[in-house]
Amino acid sequence: MKKKKCIAMLLAGGQGSRLYDLTTSIAKPAVSFGGKYRIIDFGLSNCVNSGIDTVGILVQYKPLVLNRYVGTGESWDMAVPDGGVHILPPYAGTTGGQWYEGTADAIYHNIDFIDMYDPENVLILSGDHIYKMNYNIMLDEHLNNESDLTVSVIEVPWEEASRFGIMTADENGNIVKFSEKPAEPDSNLASMGIYIFKWETLRKALLEDHENKESSHDFGKDLIPKLLGEGKKLTVYRFSGYWRDVGTVQSYYDSQMDLMDNVENINVFSGDMKVFSNSNVYPPQYLGREANIRNSLICNGCTVYGTVKHSILGSGAVVGYGTVIEDSIVLPNVIIGRNCRINKAIINEGAVVDDNTVIGDPEGKVEVFGKTHLSI
Amino acid sequence: MKTIGLISANYGSDAFGALLENRTLASLPYGGRYRLIDFALSNMANAGITTVGVIAPVNSGSLIDHIGVGNPWSLGRKKGGLFIMPGSVYGMQRWGSRFLMRDLLKCDKLFLKDDAEYVIMSGSSDVCNMDYEPLIKAHAASGKPITMVYKKVPRGEEFQGYFLEINEYGEVTWINKESYGWSNYFADTFIISRKYMIDFMGWYGSLEYMDMIEIISNNMQTMDIGTYEFKGYLGKIKNPWEFLKVNQAMTDYDIRNEVFCNPERLIYTKAQDEAPVFHYPEADVRNSVISAGCRIEGRVENSVIFRSCHIAKGAVVRNSVIMMHGTIGEGAVLDNVIADKYVTINPGVKIYGGEREPVIIGKDATI
Repeated sequence: MKKKKCIAMLLAGGQGSRLYDLTTSIAKPAVSFGGKYRIIDFGLSNCVNSGIDTVGILVQYKPLVLNRYVGTGESWDMAVPDGGVHILPPYAGTTGGQWYEGTADAIYHNIDFIDMYDPENVLILSGDHIYKMNYNIMLDEHLNNESDLTVSVIEVPWEEASRFGIMTADENGNIVKFSEKPAEPDSNLASMGIYIFKWETLRKALLEDHENKESSHDFGKDLIPKLLGEGKKLTVYRFSGYWRDVGTVQSYYDSQMDLMDNVENINVFSGDMKVFSNSNVYPPQYLGREANIRNSLICNGCTVYGTVKHSILGSGAVVGYGTVIEDSIVLPNVIIGRNCRINKAIINEGAVVDDNTVIGDPEGKVEVFGKTHLSI
Repeated sequence: MKTIGLISANYGSDAFGALLENRTLASLPYGGRYRLIDFALSNMANAGITTVGVIAPVNSGSLIDHIGVGNPWSLGRKKGGLFIMPGSVYGMQRWGSRFLMRDLLKCDKLFLKDDAEYVIMSGSSDVCNMDYEPLIKAHAASGKPITMVYKKVPRGEEFQGYFLEINEYGEVTWINKESYGWSNYFADTFIISRKYMIDFMGWYGSLEYMDMIEIISNNMQTMDIGTYEFKGYLGKIKNPWEFLKVNQAMTDYDIRNEVFCNPERLIYTKAQDEAPVFHYPEADVRNSVISAGCRIEGRVENSVIFRSCHIAKGAVVRNSVIMMHGTIGEGAVLDNVIADKYVTINPGVKIYGGEREPVIIGKDATI
């Protein structure tokens, strides 16, 4: 088997509890995004667009929808004979089984998987970020710098820096300090949770970290400080471009509205670094004689008789006569009856909304409606 | 009751002008994201048929590009799968005849090697979502060697093809090439027992220049042919006007639900994975079908827009079909127009087709 220059490990096990009802039955990376995508599409598409054809997806919390969605990886052109997409849940061995205890622990339990591909470098990704990035450029820098670890960072406004994991680097890009959510930051370079490790270095560090009873087995909290302390070569890769963590309802909402309002930010319409998805077999959308659609994103399979303004309709959604939807995100396969008023709402996948239902507050905050049945 | 399928795509039509210049009727884009052959392939897939032969014409580039190894129809497989059979050639294209003996004889290995009980044979140019399972059951129960599928149509004179005369026992007594008023129109689909097909090729192999249906018709007295009525929507396309009408049929609530939104029997096609449609603040779309990847700034009415088209501000598209990657410039007006792929209409250009004679704009044209 040809030796791989770099394989990716995508962390997709988190619950994402701050998305409330959207993640009661599915993992955060499987949450619908932009009508036809799921959050994980961005990471997987970045991989294939960067020439990485081997990805391990670490799952734990409610993985069923995610597993089915990822399938063989064919949708991302990753159904390749020597590599491809692999779903990696926790498993049992002769001494019993264990849940993944932290991000580093999840990788530790899959050392054998990575060894099967014997890569020179391992790219660690989060499955819940919205961005387009060519990892190849980062890998080239990592190789040129002969780094043990390269951390992708993005400049954030100084006043927000204390919300992030902050990397302090010297003029050559060498990381001299890492501080998790510092009260008084001395740098505004935030870690994006994207790491490229020399596999040899990471492997050794994971084995040692596993023996450390004090460790929480987390990349940010434990692994990076450990490698820094050992004097390993850690460098930053400065990324400039659109990057959002969609961990909260507001950020999840805002970044989807960006698809319409700030198209240039993350252009899902451009052929450049195209975002792929496990596309469905819906027919094209149908818009009725009285339909009125303005400034909105509408997916295949939608049937619209009402009015939709500044909103996103997910695949297969139906909107009845007389209904008005504004500033909202309707996830796939939602059926909305007649004469409803929907404002600033996120309606969960597959929900049925009865005729004449009024939900959401045009003046208030965005609300998630996660129930499968909504009525007056 | 194992059944295999054979789809004939080795026929065209000279009524479509530029639309069929470089493609076969089977690969004519339809309905925003489909090609006509998707219906025959999907009907087979939905009946659990896992071995399908496709008789391909000479100009099969677009067809083969579209169906590939048959993955969307679960035909990319180790056992069975998709078999593309080069059809016979004379001239550049063939009109009309679906089941030419010469083509079928070339497929004899499909019949000889498989152990299936039955073979469903179908054309590749009709829009319909047909459940083959009751057809297979009815054929098996009848014990007849062949069962032909027909659709009752109110005005036979509007159709080209074959019409069946059927007796009280549901048997074909005669096959006509013309019919007026209420008629039993042959739906280009029949099921035949595989062993009988092998015998048939032996008996009539020398008549290779004839269509199988003609041979059956000429030998009616020795044939025992059953019938099966298809009661669903059958979209027949024999000229550009009908092409426009059958595309617009997708805006009909019942047809859309029956053909395209039946969760039990979806119509599969090659996935292109485009972004959602972006309706700009100025967009105004009524009674139309829009495919993924489009950007709509102008007005669209009673039309079908294929993927990745751009309708600019102030442009009006009415009663038209715009195939993929069309660009309609600012203030342009199209009415009763069929635009092939990658057509560019410059700003302000106005094109009006006749109601029964839509204007056809060839592939890659700029106007």
